[in-house]
Amino acid sequence: MKYNRINVIGLGNLLYGDEGFGVTAIRSFQASSSYPDAVQCIDGGTQGIYLLDFIESCDAVIVFDALIPLEYERRVYLYRNEELPAFIHRKMSSHQMGFSEMIGLARLRGNMPKELVLIGIPPKELELNVGLSDEVALLLPEAVEMGKALVDGWLAG
Amino acid sequence: MAKRIVVDPIPRIEGHLRIEAKLNESNVIEEAYSSGTMWRGIEVILKGRDPRDAWAFAERICGVCTSVHALASVRCVEDALGITVPNNARIIRNLMHATQQTQDHLVHFYHLHALDWVDVVSALKADPKQASVIAQSISAWPKSSPGYFKDLQQRLVGFVESGQLGIFANGYWGHPAYKLPPEVNLIAVAHYLEALDFQKEIIKIHTIFGGKNPHPNYLVGGMACAIDPNSDTAINIERLSMIKKIIDDTQTFIDQVYIPDLIAIAGYYKGWLHGGGVGNYLSYGDFPETSLADFKTLLWPRGAILNKDLSTVIDVDPRDASQVTEEVSHSWYTYAGGDAKGLHPWKGETTPKYTGPKPPFENLDTDKKYSWLKTPRWKNHPMEVGPLARVLIAYAKGDPMIKDTVGLVLSKLEVGPEALFSTLGRTAARGIECKQTAGFMRHYYDQLVANIKTGDYRTFNSEKWDPSTWPAECKGFGYTEAPRGSLGHWIDIKDQKIKEYQIVVPSTWNASPRDANGVSGAYESALKGTPMINPEQPLEILRTVHSFDPCLACASHLFDMNGKEITVVKIV
Repeated sequence: MKYNRINVIGLGNLLYGDEGFGVTAIRSFQASSSYPDAVQCIDGGTQGIYLLDFIESCDAVIVFDALIPLEYERRVYLYRNEELPAFIHRKMSSHQMGFSEMIGLARLRGNMPKELVLIGIPPKELELNVGLSDEVALLLPEAVEMGKALVDGWLAG
Repeated sequence: MAKRIVVDPIPRIEGHLRIEAKLNESNVIEEAYSSGTMWRGIEVILKGRDPRDAWAFAERICGVCTSVHALASVRCVEDALGITVPNNARIIRNLMHATQQTQDHLVHFYHLHALDWVDVVSALKADPKQASVIAQSISAWPKSSPGYFKDLQQRLVGFVESGQLGIFANGYWGHPAYKLPPEVNLIAVAHYLEALDFQKEIIKIHTIFGGKNPHPNYLVGGMACAIDPNSDTAINIERLSMIKKIIDDTQTFIDQVYIPDLIAIAGYYKGWLHGGGVGNYLSYGDFPETSLADFKTLLWPRGAILNKDLSTVIDVDPRDASQVTEEVSHSWYTYAGGDAKGLHPWKGETTPKYTGPKPPFENLDTDKKYSWLKTPRWKNHPMEVGPLARVLIAYAKGDPMIKDTVGLVLSKLEVGPEALFSTLGRTAARGIECKQTAGFMRHYYDQLVANIKTGDYRTFNSEKWDPSTWPAECKGFGYTEAPRGSLGHWIDIKDQKIKEYQIVVPSTWNASPRDANGVSGAYESALKGTPMINPEQPLEILRTVHSFDPCLACASHLFDMNGKEITVVKIV
């Protein structure tokens, strides 16, 4: 096994349409696989700073989240390690702590996992509504499979 | 000419909290407007659902306060259906809630609010030896050697030089409103990082009782965890001793780090006593020693204070239709019976009607409707909720622990109780309360152990789980004091489904727009009269808004690959 501890985290808000992509993806990931205990699935919701432990406490992390890509196209995006932005913004509320700030903090503390991967889809609908848009739902299996292929590789390697 | 400044966290995604402030010629805030620019509308999502599932949706409203919404939700359903939870469930909920309060206050202080008072970049200039002398003079906390501070400082310097301190890039570093010497800044940055470790440990209590974290499991009728001292999978001796260790460490950290830091930092700012606000304070109370209905036994007392008058605490009844009301004269909703008439949440309506400008826009028309937040009032008064309200109410009621801690903090700072009516007072109240809730953690741990020793392992009352046992229609009220203030859920159950659900969250009380009489809510009032050194860098506004611990930016957390500036300040 390449990594002894792998955390797979789904982020987002289930009440806002495609913003719920990450949490829906982690549920699907969990339901369609039977990995050993080394692989933990976490429904991170929209928690910010409280997710730091899940990044720092393992060797490899996969995050599913709705995202705004650099160049916009509706497809599944995958970013690794240094490609992910890390910053701590001035903010109005501690509830604004995003995942990129957690990466920033983990870097500052010298606790980055060996591998950090973000798999995401740009949202189509961000309205108050439980459930994904058809466009995003259609891409979800591909995103989940990308995550599983990575985990399979890490477990085998 | 009068200026108007706008502080808006995420103009790109619509949503969240926006502050507009009008300044006079001397850059003093004359008027402030607080706007929630995103509709939450959970009430609409819950209609028609099984009331036993409501908590799982309600906890998704907010990214941070998941468990408080779950708690208020199960409490309102239990109230409606007349369910009494077993003693263990009451104790476990209280222990989890005290844990949440303690963690939330710590994280708020160190990871959001501290940087309004602490200049990270100034810490680079500190003399580590001098920092060590200061740290050792204020606390027995062992991580205080010159070498410890030197190592930390070098790590920070390394980050800055490699360009990575981009992570703190957007601070107003060097702003003249920062008053701490470099050494105190360095100590605070050290504790900023230590508190990150600490908050990871404390929340493990939620995992133990709630099965998982984030999003621990709640249950209408009790808690979903099993208690059996001799089982490997239940709450057993091993898990209980783990909890005890976490509580010991929590109390040490608060006594040796948080409270001394608070006093040390506040000492440099006691000349900055702006941000008092409405002067009216409300708490529903929490931490039941018996049942929730018997609110005389709440460890956090229920009550209201008007006009800063600490000699009188007025009784509060959130079920009374004439006491807690919400009106929408300045909110993007419409009421069938007129927008200016306050409705009790059991009669509440959630009909959105957006009449504001199309985003992106420069200014809101604050004479008309300008917020997605409704305007809650208690007997028509704007109220402040949260740690300051609770501490003042407990203080006025003579709670011995609160009187002692408030007395200690005030005497160390050499200020009188009137200093509490300020931004700094709100920040101090949060620390005082955090010490108290850490004590509650121990109190409920002891209660739980004592109760288990009697042989009582029951955590769930299944008597009314089956909907066929329910009345045709019933109403309930569930409350809790969330870290940031009074939270109420009101439910109407009909034919086994949710007919109506209304939530009044703490930040709606504090951040509400003006009412029909033009009277401001807590944020708006607190900002009024604050002098700004540099309107382009509105540190003073952030300080006061942060002191309330706003809960408004949590609906959406898209991962933005562009990493752009989030909070935007505009002067128009």
